[in-house]
Amino acid sequence: MWNEFIKQFITLKGYENVLNGLWITVQIAVGGLLIGILIGTIIAVVRVMPKYKRLPRILDKICVCYIELFRGTPMVVQLLIGYWVLLPALGITVDSGVPVAIIMFGLNSGAYVSEIMRSGIQSVDPGQMEAGRAVGLTYATTMLKIVVPQAVKNILPTLGNEFIVLIKETSIVSFIAVTDLYKSFKQLGDPTYDYTMPYLMLALTYLIMVLLISWGVRALEAKMKKSER
Amino acid sequence: MEKQLVLSVKNLTKQFGDNQVLKGIDLDVYEGDVVAIIGPSGCGKSTFLRCINCLEDPSGGSIMFDGEDLADMKVDINIHRQKIGMVFQQFNLFNNLCVLDNITLAPVTIAKKNKKALRAQGKTVADVKAEAEKRAMELLKAIGLEDKAAAYPSQISGGQKQRVAIVRALAMNPKVILFDEPTSALDPEMVGEVLDVMKELAKQGMTMVVVTHEMGFAREVSNRVIFIDDGVIAEENTPAEFFGNPQSERLKSFLAKVL
Repeated sequence: MWNEFIKQFITLKGYENVLNGLWITVQIAVGGLLIGILIGTIIAVVRVMPKYKRLPRILDKICVCYIELFRGTPMVVQLLIGYWVLLPALGITVDSGVPVAIIMFGLNSGAYVSEIMRSGIQSVDPGQMEAGRAVGLTYATTMLKIVVPQAVKNILPTLGNEFIVLIKETSIVSFIAVTDLYKSFKQLGDPTYDYTMPYLMLALTYLIMVLLISWGVRALEAKMKKSER
Repeated sequence: MEKQLVLSVKNLTKQFGDNQVLKGIDLDVYEGDVVAIIGPSGCGKSTFLRCINCLEDPSGGSIMFDGEDLADMKVDINIHRQKIGMVFQQFNLFNNLCVLDNITLAPVTIAKKNKKALRAQGKTVADVKAEAEKRAMELLKAIGLEDKAAAYPSQISGGQKQRVAIVRALAMNPKVILFDEPTSALDPEMVGEVLDVMKELAKQGMTMVVVTHEMGFAREVSNRVIFIDDGVIAEENTPAEFFGNPQSERLKSFLAKVL
């Protein structure tokens, strides 16, 4: 069992395939998170805007629909629809499913991050917004320079959690023929149908990645606290 | 010499739902005036102050400032707010910025946006930033806090925060500064240092509208005292007459309780 794994992994250069898969997994998770934070922040800001006027009310409704749509369907279904329905409908052909996966994970993550970000923004003292407006800054500038940075600090642990969920969930991208970390380990077991070592090693690799993220988030948190206290 | 009218409020009303908080307030503020507003809690004095720079949108009436009516929703309020400073009860310094950045954020951001004016003056963004920082340091020096420029708000005391908040308002060269109970959230021993800064400002001729519970300040520093009760101005007078010879029963009983 162990010898066979070593043979597949090292002698037959399976590690190249695994490193490639790891790189793809990281790309999808990080790309998805960045898009998710961007979309999530925009949605959150729209949703906390004062609603006296008509436009913010309409935008708010649209955002709610978006969130419900992406939270209400499984990620794998969204991925399949993105790859098999939206791409042909838009007449786009791609060499690899990776960009599709990044975009779909970003859209999905945006729905979750928006709710995290909204609670973060609402946890910031309203006096901060008032002070910004009182010196003549616009709503958008005050939001961007004063409120959102403080909100991000408050939600950092939750955002880290979202990243952890995201990186683990990327293991479904083989549904659209992307060779990610899971697929590359699976291929190590395919010649013999013995998946014991490949799957145990796969689990270990995810575990190490997640531990690294938790550690990174904690370090970032400590650093941000220091800068203000 | 005729004094310049800075701010002219006419028949200002404000209601929250069915609750009529302000029932028609008129107030003219002239250059160099220090107007103290006092009154029982819940009388609408803070709401009145917050309506002046439209932190609360007035329900009716007019607020003439710089030739425009701030109560008109079509007027660009951001431009006028640059010239109406505001100091809050809870200080409201920007927690994510150091003291220096708290003071320079607005002047720098606003100058950056006005590219046309920058070009006309032949200045770069770096010039504007350097100027704003120089001015901020001068102002900090005047209140003895230049060594706190790099500190964050959480690292300084309440009295220091409020003095920085006053400097933040001053950095915009406002025509008038509104103070919303500036000493109410302070430890007693810190009230003095904030009042001293305000006294100094008054001496320099800054126009100020101050909602306060500090009767001593109202009596010594202001040149007009206004008593708001139940959403209207119940009495207005010079400090000497206001405290020495109150007219209405309501004011008499109020003063008897607070003095």
